[in-house]
Amino acid sequence: MRGISLLVIAATLAAQTTADGVAAFGRGHYTEARAILEKAPASDATAQTFLALSRAATGGCDAARNDLTDQFAHNPDAAQRRLAGIALVQCGLAQNRMAEVWPALDQLQKAYPGDADVLYEVAKAHRKGWDDAVFQLYQKSPGSFRVNQLSGEILETEGRYADAAAEYRKAIEKNPAALNLHFRLGRSLLLQSHEAANLKEAQKEFEAELALNPSDAVAEFEIGKILQGEQKAAAAVPHFEKAAALDPNFAEPLLELAKTKPAGAIPLLERAVKLQPDNQSAHYALMLAYRNAGRTADAQREKAIFDKLNRPPEGEFTDFLKKLGEKPKQ
Amino acid sequence: MRWAGLAGAVFLAAAAGRVEFRNVAAEAGLTASFPNGGNQSKRFIVETTGSGAAFLDYDNDGLPDIFLVSGEGGLSRLYHNDGNGRFTDVTAKMELDRATGWGQGVCAADYDNDGYTDLFVTYWGQNHLYRNVRGERFEDVTARAGLRQDRVRYNTGCAFLDYDRDGHADLFVANYLKFDPATTPQPGANPLCFYRGLAVACGPRGLPFDRNILYHNNGDGTFTDVSEASGVAAPDQNYSLGVVTGDFNGDGLTDIYVACDRTPSLLYINLGKGKFAEEAVLGGVAFDADGRAMSGMGVAAGDYDGDGLPDLFRSNFSDERETLYRNRGGGEFDEVTAAAGLARNTRYVGWGCGFFDFDNDGRPDLLLVNGHVFPEVDRLGIDIRFRDHAILYRNLGGGKFEDITASAGPGLAERQSARGAAFADYDNDGAVEVLINNQNAPPTLLRQTAKTANHWITLKLTGTRSNRSALGAKVRVVAGALAQTDDVRSGGSYLSQNDLRLHFGLGAAAKVDRVEIEWPSGGRQVLLDVGADRVVEVTEPRP
Repeated sequence: MRGISLLVIAATLAAQTTADGVAAFGRGHYTEARAILEKAPASDATAQTFLALSRAATGGCDAARNDLTDQFAHNPDAAQRRLAGIALVQCGLAQNRMAEVWPALDQLQKAYPGDADVLYEVAKAHRKGWDDAVFQLYQKSPGSFRVNQLSGEILETEGRYADAAAEYRKAIEKNPAALNLHFRLGRSLLLQSHEAANLKEAQKEFEAELALNPSDAVAEFEIGKILQGEQKAAAAVPHFEKAAALDPNFAEPLLELAKTKPAGAIPLLERAVKLQPDNQSAHYALMLAYRNAGRTADAQREKAIFDKLNRPPEGEFTDFLKKLGEKPKQ
Repeated sequence: MRWAGLAGAVFLAAAAGRVEFRNVAAEAGLTASFPNGGNQSKRFIVETTGSGAAFLDYDNDGLPDIFLVSGEGGLSRLYHNDGNGRFTDVTAKMELDRATGWGQGVCAADYDNDGYTDLFVTYWGQNHLYRNVRGERFEDVTARAGLRQDRVRYNTGCAFLDYDRDGHADLFVANYLKFDPATTPQPGANPLCFYRGLAVACGPRGLPFDRNILYHNNGDGTFTDVSEASGVAAPDQNYSLGVVTGDFNGDGLTDIYVACDRTPSLLYINLGKGKFAEEAVLGGVAFDADGRAMSGMGVAAGDYDGDGLPDLFRSNFSDERETLYRNRGGGEFDEVTAAAGLARNTRYVGWGCGFFDFDNDGRPDLLLVNGHVFPEVDRLGIDIRFRDHAILYRNLGGGKFEDITASAGPGLAERQSARGAAFADYDNDGAVEVLINNQNAPPTLLRQTAKTANHWITLKLTGTRSNRSALGAKVRVVAGALAQTDDVRSGGSYLSQNDLRLHFGLGAAAKVDRVEIEWPSGGRQVLLDVGADRVVEVTEPRP
């Protein structure tokens, strides 16, 4: 009787230890959690999971690694399995064990699709890969035109178009025969300024790209757009036609050609939506072309597709943005 | 001798077709500055959107007076037109000096049919309806009229219109978004609070939508909110700014078009019986020709191609084209911006705009005013600027416009962060002037110094069975080979109010052959052989 009582007391104490450790972990007091959970019995699966998590969170990835791997694979509790997987990835990223990180991330994404914490780790892993590659490129080939090209692309994403253009020019100077540099320079110029001189300069760059690669349909298309912007609609048409011929899967030139030929717009636009079923502009233009032809039912059908494509994406970030500015509920 | 020389110079300028707009605001007495948030940086979106301007003849002396809306820290002001090219500040005298706050838009009409034009001013906060008491003072009747709002709202464009043709001017009020400085993120707080790498005021993207409001005029000095019942409240995913009214589908009922920022613009088609249906997408006026939502700000309606149908022009953000929509009839429009020659100016953020025939050749020209929302953009040293000049397009006929800004005088070269713009021939000399509300600066008053020899006529309509301001009246003027149409409308441009009178250029015609008026009541009136170069008052015949 007394022996049974002692067992009950011991079990109660062990359960309390686990509960205290988990609570400390939940508060973010990882060192405290680790100290408590190290006293928990090895047979307590929950205690062992949170001990491994606490170790991982306090720099003890080596000690935690095997347990995390085991818990991620076998823990019957989905929530604990998820935590173990995320901790395993975090340890892998910290210790640069990318070969272990990617399979774990694949598993996590399959098991917890749309999970913000999982997606955050995915983003971190990609960023690390990017950082490592950029570091190597800058360290091992600092004189390469690729350094300037990459700098230009980064500056472009930051909206620093003049700086981006300067980097592309340096890249072209180093390797005048490299493809895509004149195109990127032309596009940066277009984004940088709206002055007529800038448009001309951009046009020259797209022409230079075409001189290197006469099959570049996008460069051909950009020239058409520049001419269109300069109110030279007739001069733009051959460029759109050529772009469409160079790449039969390129829908945008078809849209531009449809604008210049209202009578023949419908077949062009029907081809465009077939090529790119998710192209909003194509569906919009086709809706109006049907409307203008008196094909009301067809126009309504296209409108329904356009409305669906035009709907803002739903998701946590969108919801978050929608709520910004609203007063918290009392 | 000196006078004769000056007259000769003006004649020569006109003979040569020279266009010269000068800013005469200072000499006209318009020297007060109208604050609207920061000049170097702006913390919140409310600093970016104000404010409007209005021409209205509040004392019925035949001379359009001026009202300018102020942001926080200033007073919206009323100026009396003294008739000698000067305006006198009568804000206090007319008892309009009591409301302060973030003033946004203004519209005007005689809502109580007492013969005096009343004023409605929108705010981020509470709107104000000012009843004009015999042209002697304005009385704030907002609460009595039932226009007090239940919460702080970001009201922007407004327009009076008689949507049910009951002879009383109803009221449409656009709402931009839900804004609370206590909870709105700070510049740079999230990815939507950046512009070209600069941390800037957040919004509109990321801020909660609000919906537009339609008030029905009960005919007893009060209004009823009919937004839900009419269908006006249904679209709730739009950031609404400029408002213009007109019969866009030719069914005789007044419709409403709203320029929306970063979201599809709205076309409320009046179905009759107090109902509206939003049909901008299929109408072709929600997006640009590529189906992309623009950042619509201001909007103007006018028959630029002389086909008798009101077309639409919308001003947009930088890196976007302005948008010209040609009315095909039946509420359907084509976007013809590029074909009309308007696709080049993509570096401006456009606001106030209007069709007006500055050279009286019988073809409505187009002016828009500009200025970026973010003062911070000047730090980039690029060709997009916080303060920029207006743009004047001459209507060449054949559906084409030509940008003549560079040769249209020093007034158009001045750089301001302009917002509202209103149009009126304030001195009744046949040349239309433009009033522009600039952020944190005195207004601009653009006046032509080189006058054209072309003829003109201005029509002031007064309803009897129709609403007194004749809102919704359609006018067709035929002079020789020229036939033009226009509607009487309140609101328009960017949060602004043009003169309620209609101005028509007549070219070489020294008289008007026919003036045809379709009154909102359904009555038709025809005037024959009307002399040109004057203001003609037309009162709706009583039954």
